[in-house]
Amino acid sequence: MGESIKSNVRSRCVGTTAVVYASDYLNKLTGERIERECKKQLDSGARALVIDFSDTELVNSIGISILLGIIDIAEKGGALVVFSEVNNETVQLFEMLGLTRHVVIAANEQEALSRVSTSLPQSQAMGH
Amino acid sequence: MNHNRNDHGYQILGRVGRDEFIGRTAELERLVSHARQSNGQGRAREARNTHGLLVLLAPLAGVSELLRQTFDSLFTRREEVVPIYFALPQAETTAVSAAIEFLNTFLLQYIAYRRDEPALCRASLTLNDLVKLAPTADVVWIEELVEAYNRQRFGEDDRELVRFCLTAPDRIPARDARPFVMFDAVQLGNYSDSSIPFAIEIVRALRSSGKPFVLAGLRREVLDAASRAGCNTDSPALMRLEQLGDEDARNLITATARKQQVSITDETRDLLVQQLEGSPFFITSMLQAAGEQRLALDSYLACERLYVDELMGGRLNRYFSSVLEHIAPEPEIRASLIRLLCEAMPEGKRSSQFEGLRRRLKLDSARVEQLLRLLHIQELINCDGETIDITGNSTLWQDYLKSRFRLDALREPRALVVADVMADALKRAPQTIAHHYRRAASLPLRELLGKFNSQLVPRCLFDYGQFAAAYKGGTAEETAAGLDADTNLVRLPQIFHTASGVSFSSTLRPFGEESSVVAHAFSGGIYTNQNEIVWLVARVESKLEVNAALVQKWLDLLDGVARKSGLVNTQIWLIANEGFAPEAIDLLRTRDAFGSSRQQFDILTDRLSTGELRQSDTANEFQLIFPMGADNEMLAASAVEQIARRLNFTAEAINQIKTAVVEACINASEHSLSPDRKIYQRFQVENDRLSITISSRGILPINFTGNAQGEEGTTTVEATDDRRGWGLKLIQTLMDEVEFERVDEGTSLRMTKYLRQSS
Repeated sequence: MGESIKSNVRSRCVGTTAVVYASDYLNKLTGERIERECKKQLDSGARALVIDFSDTELVNSIGISILLGIIDIAEKGGALVVFSEVNNETVQLFEMLGLTRHVVIAANEQEALSRVSTSLPQSQAMGH
Repeated sequence: MNHNRNDHGYQILGRVGRDEFIGRTAELERLVSHARQSNGQGRAREARNTHGLLVLLAPLAGVSELLRQTFDSLFTRREEVVPIYFALPQAETTAVSAAIEFLNTFLLQYIAYRRDEPALCRASLTLNDLVKLAPTADVVWIEELVEAYNRQRFGEDDRELVRFCLTAPDRIPARDARPFVMFDAVQLGNYSDSSIPFAIEIVRALRSSGKPFVLAGLRREVLDAASRAGCNTDSPALMRLEQLGDEDARNLITATARKQQVSITDETRDLLVQQLEGSPFFITSMLQAAGEQRLALDSYLACERLYVDELMGGRLNRYFSSVLEHIAPEPEIRASLIRLLCEAMPEGKRSSQFEGLRRRLKLDSARVEQLLRLLHIQELINCDGETIDITGNSTLWQDYLKSRFRLDALREPRALVVADVMADALKRAPQTIAHHYRRAASLPLRELLGKFNSQLVPRCLFDYGQFAAAYKGGTAEETAAGLDADTNLVRLPQIFHTASGVSFSSTLRPFGEESSVVAHAFSGGIYTNQNEIVWLVARVESKLEVNAALVQKWLDLLDGVARKSGLVNTQIWLIANEGFAPEAIDLLRTRDAFGSSRQQFDILTDRLSTGELRQSDTANEFQLIFPMGADNEMLAASAVEQIARRLNFTAEAINQIKTAVVEACINASEHSLSPDRKIYQRFQVENDRLSITISSRGILPINFTGNAQGEEGTTTVEATDDRRGWGLKLIQTLMDEVEFERVDEGTSLRMTKYLRQSS
């Protein structure tokens, strides 16, 4: 279980699941950083992405469009995406723009990881 | 003349005391302020070359007393600014003699000021007398000035002498005082037998001084002189003076009548206001004449009798005669001119060609051109190249011309002419007053159209059928509440030009000038061919609901005006006091025309005025400007969060507002190609709402229609597959009202969140 803070995006790996932490304001810049980190994790063999929004107060439309891009990439690679600890206002925004149709939303990181483990074949979840 | 100080200071050049000076208070304050403000800001103003103020006078509007009052006011203040007032004398015939007169006047008024002896201003003194009177501190430079003048005077270069005299105020040592020169009656400066363009020399001298100055005169002459003196690149400030408004003219008549001990009635006062065309000169002239002759002006007959006396041989006669003599000093040419102007009075005979005029006047082209120029300056004609339109709309001027023509050219007996002029004046008096009352009572169509300004209003205000069905019989409160809740809105165009329909077609003349308006506009406030539209608006006279036949007649009439004038995209709007009968409503709808009752018109007027007030109410307004980029939209979001908390919005609503603000800032940054890269924000707090306007300079984005909402209140910005187009959609979802305000460049998005809906 390692944690990376390169390019100002905090992330960690739990088996083949990468947990990426979004910052307080998700805009173009921070969105692209998350995107880069997610791509890197997927390229490194991650089979699921948990994006944690516990620090996120505000999300703008550019940030949301980047999240959709991340979901697209993950879907194409057969990876699962779960959002965790998203505040109510941001959930509303995601619903308005149809994001919730493509992603699972979990109450917190723990629930997100357990959703991943139940969704992925055990061998993939454990990194075998 | 009383030169003693009273409560209002000295009365030196003023023909009336300060307390009797009526109708130009704001202008007087501006002139005094112009002289004094330049004091502290001299260098900055010099750098911008805006130290000059051109006072542009409509014919007969009167400016001399205003300048004289300015002189007295500055003289009384005893500050560093020394007022100098010089009216170009009509008696002088050359630029040189006028310039010498200026030099004398300048020194006289300067020394009067320095010695604080107002009485000197009216003394008649030679230059040598003035040297003797000069205060010790000024003796040296005044002596040098007079010596230099005596050398120049006997030189051979007239132009040099003129320039020397006009620049004399520059010789005042800067440490002692600063002159504030006011030139009056610039139109008299082009002396016919002088090769020196005096008016231009005046402008050049004043501009080169770098000190504040005022140049006043007939607007066409002043603007022409300023332009020819090269003021195009460093435009001086402008003050426009029109004839007095009705209220000021009434007050002037009342005050002057009291002073002259002339008895007047409300009726004769109102007649004089209209008949004398709001001219301060004519008003005071008439009342002075009445005072001198101890006449009461308490009936139309008394007024018209005095009017004709004045026109045929009194002050009015002398004024018009002097104008004509200035234009055409030669009696034969003057007689030809009178005939020509007289014959051009009837409608349809007012346009002439230059060559035709030249032949009729039997003069060479240069002389005709000179005559036309002087007539143009007096606004007796409009001369624009080959075509000459003879205007002379003033009834007083026409009365004078006709009487002169009959007396001088036709040699009719004077008694007959006097009797006829008086009979005409008496017959016209009730019509003049009736016309005035009609105008005062008419619907202010043009004013209302001017307020349209792309505002959104309930559509039913233009559809009498809909309005009557919903609100007829309801109270004002119920109607207002219903209209407030009405979501079927129409966005009015931005009107950029209005004129009476009569100006477009004489077929509308029988209904009166005020009954119809042709208004050129752009819908959505967007300046493209597709958005150009012309509103044809008419008031239909009827005591009952207007029937279909009358509507048909008006629609055909206005369609005809549109066709004749080549107006393609038009909108007809008829207004009738009591609205329209059902068949008439159907007809209006069939022809895509609007129809409103007087009640709808009044409601519309109120709502548009309220909109203006709301826009100008800045008491509860916060403003924030920040550079684009670097996540600065978060600063705006933080600011609006604090403001919204004060209004007790819920946390959810606050987050929605913050998100909308962030999106609006991003839109402004992305779309505008802003030259200053700044975002301008206004947060307006009202009891039940928070309105936020996010603006930026730059281009008008082509994908923004200027309407966040269409005419029916529907969204016109379509959701697209492009995820980057989500910002506006989000804003519209998060906020209660969203609209693009009309701006000349960039974008201005106004969004409102209501407290009652969100908390």
